[in-house]
Amino acid sequence: MNRILEQILPKVQKPARYTGGEYNAVVKELSHVDTRYALCFPDTYEIGMSNLGCRILYGVMNQMEGLWCERCFAPWGDMEEEMRREGMLLYGLESGDPIAEFDLIGFSLGYEMSYTNVLNMLDLAGLPLRAADRPDLTPIVVAGGTCAYNPEPLAPFIDFFVLGEGEDVTLEYIQLYRKARDEDWSKEEFLLEAAKIPGIYVPSLYQPVYREDGTLEEVRALEGAPETVTKRIVQDLDKAYFPVDTIIPSTEIVHDRVMLELFRGCIRGCRFCQAGYVYRPVRSRSPELLSQLGKAACERSGYQEMTLSSLSSTDYPHLMALCDDLLDYCAPRNIGLGLPSLRADTFSMSLMERLQRVRRGGLTFAPEAGTQRLRDAINKNLQEEDLLQSVRTAFSGGWSGVKLYFMLGLPTETDEDVLGIADLARKVYFAWRECTPKPARGVRITVSTSWFVPKPHTAFQWDAQIPVEEYQRRVNLLRDALRRDKSITYNWHDPETSYLEAIFSRGDRRLADVLEWAWEHGAKFDAWSEYFNYQRWMDALAACNLSGDFYAHRERARGEVFPWCRIDPGVSTGFLWRERELAYGGQTTPDCRTRCSGCGANGLLKGGVCNG
Amino acid sequence: MADRLLFAKTGRARYISHLDLMRTFQRAFFRAGVPLKHTEGFNPHPFISIALPLSVGYSSQCEILEFVLLDGVSREEVPGRLTAVMPEGIIVHSCYPAERKLKELSYVNYIINMEYEEGRPQETETALKALLNRESLIVRKKSKKAKAGFTEVDLIPLIQSWNIQCQRDTMTLSAELRAQNPGLNPELIRAAFCQAYPELAPDFVTFHRREVLDADGKPFR
Repeated sequence: MNRILEQILPKVQKPARYTGGEYNAVVKELSHVDTRYALCFPDTYEIGMSNLGCRILYGVMNQMEGLWCERCFAPWGDMEEEMRREGMLLYGLESGDPIAEFDLIGFSLGYEMSYTNVLNMLDLAGLPLRAADRPDLTPIVVAGGTCAYNPEPLAPFIDFFVLGEGEDVTLEYIQLYRKARDEDWSKEEFLLEAAKIPGIYVPSLYQPVYREDGTLEEVRALEGAPETVTKRIVQDLDKAYFPVDTIIPSTEIVHDRVMLELFRGCIRGCRFCQAGYVYRPVRSRSPELLSQLGKAACERSGYQEMTLSSLSSTDYPHLMALCDDLLDYCAPRNIGLGLPSLRADTFSMSLMERLQRVRRGGLTFAPEAGTQRLRDAINKNLQEEDLLQSVRTAFSGGWSGVKLYFMLGLPTETDEDVLGIADLARKVYFAWRECTPKPARGVRITVSTSWFVPKPHTAFQWDAQIPVEEYQRRVNLLRDALRRDKSITYNWHDPETSYLEAIFSRGDRRLADVLEWAWEHGAKFDAWSEYFNYQRWMDALAACNLSGDFYAHRERARGEVFPWCRIDPGVSTGFLWRERELAYGGQTTPDCRTRCSGCGANGLLKGGVCNG
Repeated sequence: MADRLLFAKTGRARYISHLDLMRTFQRAFFRAGVPLKHTEGFNPHPFISIALPLSVGYSSQCEILEFVLLDGVSREEVPGRLTAVMPEGIIVHSCYPAERKLKELSYVNYIINMEYEEGRPQETETALKALLNRESLIVRKKSKKAKAGFTEVDLIPLIQSWNIQCQRDTMTLSAELRAQNPGLNPELIRAAFCQAYPELAPDFVTFHRREVLDADGKPFR
């Protein structure tokens, strides 16, 4: 182990995050390695190691001959301070070598508030932040993940973005990189060739042109740039890599369990949900394979807990059969089986009853909106009676707490909808009084609201986030309505991070200067209250002469050119606009299995038919 | 009857905390296919305990873990199976039936290595000797229980024996310290030394557990 690291580690909190050496971490003989990749997650070890996508890419890459992929996470402030004091550069956890010496550096972008950590990690690595200031072929800085669907705020820092699922395209661009290196290409030559690989967006090949009012005239495709970049998907999940032999952290992480991915995509079509649109079409793994993978993953990891993870796991068509099969394996071995996303319906509840051996404290549901009208408008296909029936089942079965999640500021929301949240919470309370076997024990009903953030590639990508004063007013309205209900606790999300999310999620390339300014003035770990400083961001916007409200609170016209207009997630803009009109008309769209709504994502599949 | 493992925790594994190490072992038993007794109740989990929790950052070649091996795997197989599925730096040396009570574990032999990057000042040896030869050496120790947030302990009665070896850049203290009720963490010796002789404070100190001993000074197993 590196001597400086050895001297630093006793001084920092949770040093096991910085050592590597976990079970199943891949260490390769350097003489057999020709290409080195740093897979970077711009947040802490505990968060990054909980990311299934990173585990998949780590496994896929390390299966490749001659390629060594290592992990790298954002060091917490105490560690960063020690590293900077000792002049220690950001290193790969497996080898301890500085990642600046690697061939490729790839960031996983899950959340806008991690952008400053990308900059900070590049700086800690000893690299210039801007791609233009890194003229050499090596290292190439890549980024992918959900946020890459609007890559523009990070465009100047990243050499290219990868859209969609990375299993295949990662290997393709690494092969191209090897060719480029062996044949002494310039970085420009390499990027021009990389742009020809489907799913790769090279930001330097596109030039945003702005109008005087700040909106885009166009995002000009320069010579050699494809008109649009279509996201990549894995065609057949049964043939895709699944990380059965995966790293088992030696220190506790957020999702410290086997994550069994049932399917990708979501059939529901909630109109606010970016994941629901950009991960289409639905593709399932077969129950036989899942059962086999799940058992093997438990056996080889030693985890005593497994979660069936997907965007809406209870929509998996063979769920009952799969659960029965897995339970036969798990129950005698004391392995807990869990579902992360519960729909409030009878099917899910009966399943829950079967899975839970121990009654935990609380159940969580996300009705998202307080009235049926608004739930219909956002296409959250949930009936009030289903929710009430679910909580009745739960309370009768001995649960003593329910958490209810809502959003405030959804398009078309009125005061009636806001007060509807209080009504719904009260109905849940009455359901408890009616059903609980232990009335003396009391009940905890928690209502949480967040401030709606419109996201790119959703039906609400044209909509304005409501102004902060209005959000605050609606919070107060709901708070007052719930004031007398002693069994109902109301929590609301602070508006500051949601405002910044709204700015960056639909931001353009000019925001890169804001990011850099904020980073220069100390911004990092913005998702963490320990570090987040709202005023710094306001100062950054002012210093760059940009208005946050322009991005967050402005409704876009139908024909507006979006910063992400060159990115094609497979779902057509025409479909999203139709969905928006249906929302304003209070009309629902049935789920994909009931009726195909013609979103266009089936076009990504060979054969053109969704099978989920 | 309970079984014991003797294992080493070195290298990168030094930074695994006690709680995390327990979790690591629980999972390792499972993936190694070594059957062990579980706790009873609603949420059974593998029943294991580690004799003397080791501070984060310390290395050791003599850690003891207690568990109950169930039928299916012989004791001889256990070290190999477990070591194969451990994080780097944890090596299980042996598995044997627990014949003695843990409370017979009386002393721990620690190696405390003090490093001086610019060369070791001559006086360190006499200074440390003088410190350890005192009649009593009372230091403040952080305490969660005490109202003031600290208690005072006299280190001298907790130090059974010691010897010092010096080289150009290092001074190595080998000391046998009381293991439990109360035990002595060698960090307190370092702290006392640095407080008494701040000008002789080393740049870096490592701690290593070399052996656990019974009341007669023989290895405890």
